[in-house]
Amino acid sequence: MSPSEEPLWRALQADVDALADAPAGLDTVLAALPRWDSLAVLLVITHAEQAHGRALTGAQVRACRTARDLVALLS
Amino acid sequence: MQTTLAQVRIAGLAVTTGPLARDFVAEGLAAGQDAGALERTARTVGLRRRLVAAPGQTALDLCADAATRLLAACPAAAAEVDAVVFVTQTPDHPQPNNASLLHGRLGFARAVAAYDVALGCSGWVYGLQQAALLCAHGGARAVLLCAGDTLSRCTNPRDRATDPLFGDAGSATLVVRDPAAGPWHFVLGADGARARVIEVPAGGARSPRGDGPEPERADADGNVRRPGDLHMDGAEVFNFTLREVPAALAEVLALAGWAEPDVDALVLHQANRFVLSTVGRKCGFPAAKTPMDLVERFGNQSSASIPCALVESLGAELRAGPRRLVACGFGVGLSWGAVALTSGPLTILPTLPLTPAP
Repeated sequence: MSPSEEPLWRALQADVDALADAPAGLDTVLAALPRWDSLAVLLVITHAEQAHGRALTGAQVRACRTARDLVALLS
Repeated sequence: MQTTLAQVRIAGLAVTTGPLARDFVAEGLAAGQDAGALERTARTVGLRRRLVAAPGQTALDLCADAATRLLAACPAAAAEVDAVVFVTQTPDHPQPNNASLLHGRLGFARAVAAYDVALGCSGWVYGLQQAALLCAHGGARAVLLCAGDTLSRCTNPRDRATDPLFGDAGSATLVVRDPAAGPWHFVLGADGARARVIEVPAGGARSPRGDGPEPERADADGNVRRPGDLHMDGAEVFNFTLREVPAALAEVLALAGWAEPDVDALVLHQANRFVLSTVGRKCGFPAAKTPMDLVERFGNQSSASIPCALVESLGAELRAGPRRLVACGFGVGLSWGAVALTSGPLTILPTLPLTPAP
């Protein structure tokens, strides 16, 4: 995880419960997380809006396969 | 679209709810669903209890009860009603329209006009604009605006994304012409290109419902629906809400020449606490000015949610004197409507459940 990715990932984990217990590293496959569902997608959209002022669509978030993809959306 | 209409005021408000309390956590546990997942949804979204209609009760029944009580409490305005506007997505029949059925049930004279507006969560604001337009420029002395739905009947019990959300209610609002009343400012809009993110695919002329059983399909989250069930893409609706509602509120505030400190209350469509708190923060309104606890008592009441919030959260203030209000509804269409108005003192009746017929 790069120095620029780490704070983005930590902030995401703090706001999105489905990511809180994800294994270390950004290669985690989101679909393998037990609570990665439509509610988690909503929480990611909220986090993007509140922490970054970014308006993400549900399709953008659902298209992410790994944690790294999510972080890239916010970079 | 921007509209400014003068010399209109709200004379009274009443809301009637369904009588049956449902708790989606208790129901989910009884159906063998995971307790942790249910509590997570309840905690995050702010949903649990809701009031729904009894078997046989419709939006027309709920609105008729609210209207009957309101007209009795406001006899002067009741005698001057020249039009009935009914906002609903759940009419009794494809034909005739609910407004005409209500017109007949309440015994209005044949000179009283009656028409429906087919909208949901944005619908009270659209209906209020119609009522104000009729009073300001359409020759009406008073308009009875009814707005309500029974959306709890439209969801599939195995669709966790929509089934826990909706309560059933009907509202009645009396709008009257008043030369002394100040202007109301409206901003209405729609994003029809994305209308189908909230839809009931079957049941209209494009895709009639057949006589046989409809096939059920599960989505990626395991939510099950039939073509005749309400489908809502929650993430896209949320994205729409975050984009359009703050912009509409900024526009209507500018139209009124108001800023946040000038406004006594921001009344948003009571979708769920998650949406309300996020939108309220984004708009810069303090939580104390933004009622958001209604949905935890009643569920998402579609077009009846704003009048219910006015009655339940601001009723005492509105009975006492004028208040500067900004309201915004948003939902199916995708459509939104915002209004800035000064309202009160006015007649506010207690919110009551409709007793089921014996």
